[in-house]
Amino acid sequence: MLRTSLQSVRALGSRPAAAVVGRQWQVAAPRRAIVSGQRFYSDDKKPAEPAVLPASETLTASSTPPPASPQTVPTSTVSSAQIPPTPPPPPPPPVQPVQPLKKKRGFFARLRRLILTLTLLGAIGFGGGVYYSRINDNFHDFFTEYIPYGEQAVLYFEELDFKKRFPNVANKVTGRTPVVSEQVNVPAQSGASWRVADSGEPAGRQSSAVQKVAAAKEHAKETVKEAVKEVQEAVKAAEPTPAVEKKAKKAKKETAALPKVEAKDAVVAKPVPAAVAEKVDAVVATKTAAAPEQKPWKAPEVDEPSSWPPASPIDHLSVPHATEPVVQNLVRMLNDIIAVINHDGANEKYATTIGKAKNEVAKVGQQIIDIKKNVEKKAAKEMKKRVDVFEKKANQLVTLLEKAMANQEEQWRREFESEMERLKHSYDEKVKLIQERERQLAERKIDNKLLEQAVELQRQFSQDIKKQVEQERDGRLGRLAELSTAVAELEKLTTGWNDVVDTNLRTQQLHVAVEAVRASLENAHHPRPFIKELVALKEIAADDAVVDAAISSIHPSAYQRGISTSAELIDRFRRVASEVRKASLLPEDAGVASHASSYLLSKVMFQKKGLAAGDDVESILARTQTFLEEGDLDNAAREMNGLNGWAKTLSRDWLGEVRKVLEVQQALEVCHPNRGQTSEFKG
Amino acid sequence: MAETSAPVASRAVSRPVSEALLNEKWDRCLSNLIIKSTLGLGFGVVFSVLLFKRRAWPAFVGVGFGAGRAYEECNSSLKQAAKEIRKHQA
Repeated sequence: MLRTSLQSVRALGSRPAAAVVGRQWQVAAPRRAIVSGQRFYSDDKKPAEPAVLPASETLTASSTPPPASPQTVPTSTVSSAQIPPTPPPPPPPPVQPVQPLKKKRGFFARLRRLILTLTLLGAIGFGGGVYYSRINDNFHDFFTEYIPYGEQAVLYFEELDFKKRFPNVANKVTGRTPVVSEQVNVPAQSGASWRVADSGEPAGRQSSAVQKVAAAKEHAKETVKEAVKEVQEAVKAAEPTPAVEKKAKKAKKETAALPKVEAKDAVVAKPVPAAVAEKVDAVVATKTAAAPEQKPWKAPEVDEPSSWPPASPIDHLSVPHATEPVVQNLVRMLNDIIAVINHDGANEKYATTIGKAKNEVAKVGQQIIDIKKNVEKKAAKEMKKRVDVFEKKANQLVTLLEKAMANQEEQWRREFESEMERLKHSYDEKVKLIQERERQLAERKIDNKLLEQAVELQRQFSQDIKKQVEQERDGRLGRLAELSTAVAELEKLTTGWNDVVDTNLRTQQLHVAVEAVRASLENAHHPRPFIKELVALKEIAADDAVVDAAISSIHPSAYQRGISTSAELIDRFRRVASEVRKASLLPEDAGVASHASSYLLSKVMFQKKGLAAGDDVESILARTQTFLEEGDLDNAAREMNGLNGWAKTLSRDWLGEVRKVLEVQQALEVCHPNRGQTSEFKG
Repeated sequence: MAETSAPVASRAVSRPVSEALLNEKWDRCLSNLIIKSTLGLGFGVVFSVLLFKRRAWPAFVGVGFGAGRAYEECNSSLKQAAKEIRKHQA
């Protein structure tokens, strides 16, 4: 420690000048470096750095001893004289030992401080708690219940406060409180018992006799030992006198109630000389006697002045009728006095006075009892009187109440009767009203029925009359009606004739139109549109549904381009037939080879003629040609329709043409007004 | 007759007449055959000149290839047509 302090002092003492210089150099060097722009000066800072150390030491100065004490100043001057003027290299070792030391001490100090602060805080908290618990009741409960020693502390302070406030009362209270707070042990054998004197040995029950015998033996041994000592002294002293014997006898009488065990043991355990035995008994008796403070009166020795045995203690007063509290108090007081006197052993002095007092007290008791009896008698009389008066009054009240009740009852009855009357009246009225209504209703119903019957009768009558009138009239009117119908029929006939004439005319016109169309078709050498003719036909037909339907059934291309003539159809058929024949032998899904073979083979096939039977292409073609030559377009088309495959595809266009022609022909036939005639005409 | 042929010709231009369908196909096939065979022949000749020292067989092979190709196309077209016809009629 001393060395470190010295070192630090030396360092501090020598430092200032050098440090200041160093610092100046430090400050100056960078400045110059900046000015000159030479940066390598920054490397030179390192040797200057130790100059900072004093500052670091000053930082730790709080833990290090103060360096600038006046005692160390001379040493520092001496050391400064010894050391060279240039500042020595900074001593790093002194710095290092300081830090761990400080650290250690710091730790202990911190621990100590922690404990200190903890205890301080705890004490402050406890004190605060005590203080606050005396202000706030809730906190008081909490504090006394949960904080150890809190209750005691609070109680102590409360007591102090209480004492301060009531010094007089406090004394009393505090005088008694410790007694109260102390535990009171009431021994099992305490209190008054039937025993004249208690030796501490209870009359054990049979069950616990053995234990008690042992205890008694122990006790007896001790007592006997003591007794032996005394006896020895006594034997030394003298022989028993008659007084002693008397006393001993008395003692014996007193201890007669003691358990025989003890007595026996006491006697048997120590067989003493017969002369001494009685003495022993006496001593035992006096030892175990209840009067502890009473000094055992010893018979005066021969050489001692004679003295009287102490007078028998004054008997306690007992009053026969001591039920009164006053008397009881008196008796107790007197008994206390007697007890005191007995205790003091001043029986003789106060015996007479106490006797008087006893008599007086007894008298007082008697008098009190007498007075009490008188008072009781008086009170009984008073009570009787009072009871009589109350009964009378009660009777009066009862009669009054009864009267009032009767009155009220009378009144209520009257009211009830009147109410009844009123109700009865009202009900009667209601009943009357209802009866009236019923009667009226019944009358109305009857009236209605009568009216209905009258109406029915009238209707029947009118019907009868009508019937009769009709019967009479039918004869003449029937004939008139027949006549009128006949006339109407005639009219109808005439109008029908007009219609017939009209339709005739129209059909004629229609006929002309249709014929015009037909002519235009048949006379054409090549297809030619016949729209004009059709339009005319439609106009003539007006709203004829049949003609409309027929015209609409014709394909538009037919009347726009015209239809081919039969010569054209036949010519085209020849071409189609040759093509079809080429493809007649094709199998299904034919390729190039089959096509080529079919083409070649068709050249060498024989052609059929007329209505050839068969389903093959060649026969179908033959039949079609025959039908065409006959002019039967319908059958020809049907035959060609029977083809399939390539043949059908090739003949598709030709079939379309034929169909168009057929459609037009059919439509014209439909449009023709008298088909029978046309067919005839055509044929 | 001149009057009747005129509309037929016009119709053929717009849409082939049904009876001419097969002939059309045949025409196309033949032209195809000629073109393909010629092409094959040309390739064969070129190959024979360039690679095979003017041998004859490459030319024939080329023709064969071209003809075969044309045949196959024709066959497939005909079959397609037949299938369509069948579908149409069914």
